[in-house]
Amino acid sequence: MNDATLIRKSLFRNKTRAILLVLSIMTAFLIFSVLGAFSRALNSGVETAAADRLVTLNAINFTLTMPYAYWGRVDQVEGVQAVTHASWFGGYYQEPRNFVQSFAVDMESYFQVYPELVPIEGDMETLLARNDCAAIGQDLLQQYEWTPGQRIPLTSNIWSKPDGSRVWDVELCLVFDAEDQDVPTNYMMLQYDYYNESLAFNRDQIGWMILTTGDPAINDQVGRDIDALFTNSPAETETSTEAAFGQAFLEQLGNIGLILTLVIGAAFATILMIVGTTMVMAINERTKEVAVMKTLGFSPPRIFTHVLSESVLLSLLGGLIGLGLAALLLVGVSGALAGQFPGLRMTPTIIGQAVALMILFGLVTGLLPAINAMRTNIVTALGKD
Amino acid sequence: MLKQIGAVTMINLRSIPQRWGMSLATVLSVALVVGVLLGFLAMANGFRATVDGSGADDVAVFLRAGSQAELNSGLGRDSVRLIEAGPGIAADAAGDPVLSAELYVIVDGIKRSSGTEANLPLRGVGPDASALREGFTMIEGRMFAPGSSELVVGEGVIRQFEGFDMGQTVRLGSNEWRVVGVFSTGGSVFDSEIWADVGTIQNLYQRTGTVQSVRARLTSPEALAGLQAYVADEPRLDLDVTSEREFFASSAGGTSDIIMFLGWPLAVIMAIGALAGAWNAMYASVDARTREIATLRAIGFSGFPAFVGTMVESLMLAAIGGLLGAGATYLIFDGVSASTLGGGFTQIVFSFAVTPTALVSGVVLALIVGAAGGFFPAIRAARVPILKAQG
Repeated sequence: MNDATLIRKSLFRNKTRAILLVLSIMTAFLIFSVLGAFSRALNSGVETAAADRLVTLNAINFTLTMPYAYWGRVDQVEGVQAVTHASWFGGYYQEPRNFVQSFAVDMESYFQVYPELVPIEGDMETLLARNDCAAIGQDLLQQYEWTPGQRIPLTSNIWSKPDGSRVWDVELCLVFDAEDQDVPTNYMMLQYDYYNESLAFNRDQIGWMILTTGDPAINDQVGRDIDALFTNSPAETETSTEAAFGQAFLEQLGNIGLILTLVIGAAFATILMIVGTTMVMAINERTKEVAVMKTLGFSPPRIFTHVLSESVLLSLLGGLIGLGLAALLLVGVSGALAGQFPGLRMTPTIIGQAVALMILFGLVTGLLPAINAMRTNIVTALGKD
Repeated sequence: MLKQIGAVTMINLRSIPQRWGMSLATVLSVALVVGVLLGFLAMANGFRATVDGSGADDVAVFLRAGSQAELNSGLGRDSVRLIEAGPGIAADAAGDPVLSAELYVIVDGIKRSSGTEANLPLRGVGPDASALREGFTMIEGRMFAPGSSELVVGEGVIRQFEGFDMGQTVRLGSNEWRVVGVFSTGGSVFDSEIWADVGTIQNLYQRTGTVQSVRARLTSPEALAGLQAYVADEPRLDLDVTSEREFFASSAGGTSDIIMFLGWPLAVIMAIGALAGAWNAMYASVDARTREIATLRAIGFSGFPAFVGTMVESLMLAAIGGLLGAGATYLIFDGVSASTLGGGFTQIVFSFAVTPTALVSGVVLALIVGAAGGFFPAIRAARVPILKAQG
């Protein structure tokens, strides 16, 4: 019988207890991994933001627009490599609840500013040549089970045409995707000119501009220069990095980070207490046995290692099952939630953090019992009733 | 039999201190589960209470058809005139309809909790606006003067956001405004808004002649149907008309449902973890008393009292945990102010509300954990063989 077998045997000497502990450790790691994946999906906009990409918004609020002419003026600012603009379309398909995240953009510059978006079907020439062509992200295409080349009526809940109609017919000329799975592609773009020429009101206005500087070091300077251009005009601007804007938007929902920390903290505090006290009790029950092992010549460090390995093994067992369940769960729901949480999946980072936590948790819960076992006095222990 | 049950139960409960470590772990873990559940429920209920409490039955809201939210809506001057002529709208002392055509612009405020920018609604209103909000009072300063660049601010905005304090000068784009008053509507959605003169906002935002919503006081809630028929029959109007209560109720659902859908599964998964803890503690309790139970059997006690004793011990620990969790959540979370993005794409300030129903759900969840955790150990207790008395 080698040490590993001995550890395994002592862990499962009380099967019910071991299974219950595994179950309870499993729940904490299930919660940790699932919430971790959700948090990552929510933050993907911040994490995939390019360091040299800036957004210029109306200074009062990003829902307000600015004149179309601003686009050309920003293009002249020193340090701006490429600039594009976008306008919120507020689209839906047939029914208002079939929300379609959609923007009216200038296609050519848009794909320049977002080089991570790669066409996978259709060609750029057709897209640029035809006014009623739209570019659609792979995730959105799949969500509505549309086919490339299909014509769809896109209704806006904001904009209308002079005749009162709110429908723009578009053809899905180009499908794009991104190599990085974390870059969301759950939206579509239609041509700004096509949208603007039939607007009943708010014509020749754009929602916001996105630009690249090529060098994060000059971001601040370029941002200041742009905003200075429009000071004291009816539409003053505010330029910030893409990441800062994404972060501020997330904060609008509430302090999600704090809520996640509290929940995960509560889950771990629960199992720490349960597993911790049970381990102490389990080793106490074996005091006599430990004394016998010592008599047989097991050194105190070896006994210490045994107990610690036992608790780490227990933690890994429960934790890995929890991690596995979380992975299955995420695969199950990622399709249904692709619209709200694009890129919801288990990542190597989460797995790494979870495994590190498992080992740490095993060490923490095993430390006290291991010290107790190591210090067991043969004479008193064997004399114990 | 009852005497036996009572005696064994007392032995069980009195022996808890001997296993205080595991018992305490069970109590605290159940408390944490209940705490997480109630925290989420308090958030969902608080948000819902704020939004649901905002609408009146006798106020009609007019939006452009299909726009769903004030932000997306737009109405011309002609539409407002036609609405004024509609049936069932209450008149004031001078005989004019009690009606408010309002413009709704989103501006940035700084969230106190994070220091980041957040969407706040700036509502351009006319003189009738405050009469159309139940319980509207100025709690500081005065109302803005018509045609001026003055703002009044809801008390929720003051609580959660920087930059709109009383007397402060606010720069929105290239225009400067002064905060001259703070109002309250008793915790409704409007407390999260900033109000100014509708004409001034129309001019500054180049929206002369257009508004986004019209609110009108109805002579009675039943008058709504007549007004809806009038709008449907009038070809020059393309509007959705709802009661204000309905308008808010439909926008509250989403956010509070999401919070509920997060809270319950999390609590149930955590409860499974705590259940394992309770189970373990009860097995330990039964194992520790094996000899004692066997002795009781030997002197004529049946197995049933042992079963009940263990169940009561488990339920007791869980109930203490449940009450502890509920009490702590109530003390920590009830009334805590927070804000999130609401249906109108702007921040809604609300207070966490730990409701009696939620407290009951929490304690019930705790008792389920206690009952399930005690059941199998209790069966083991009932089946202890008499021979074990010799141990």
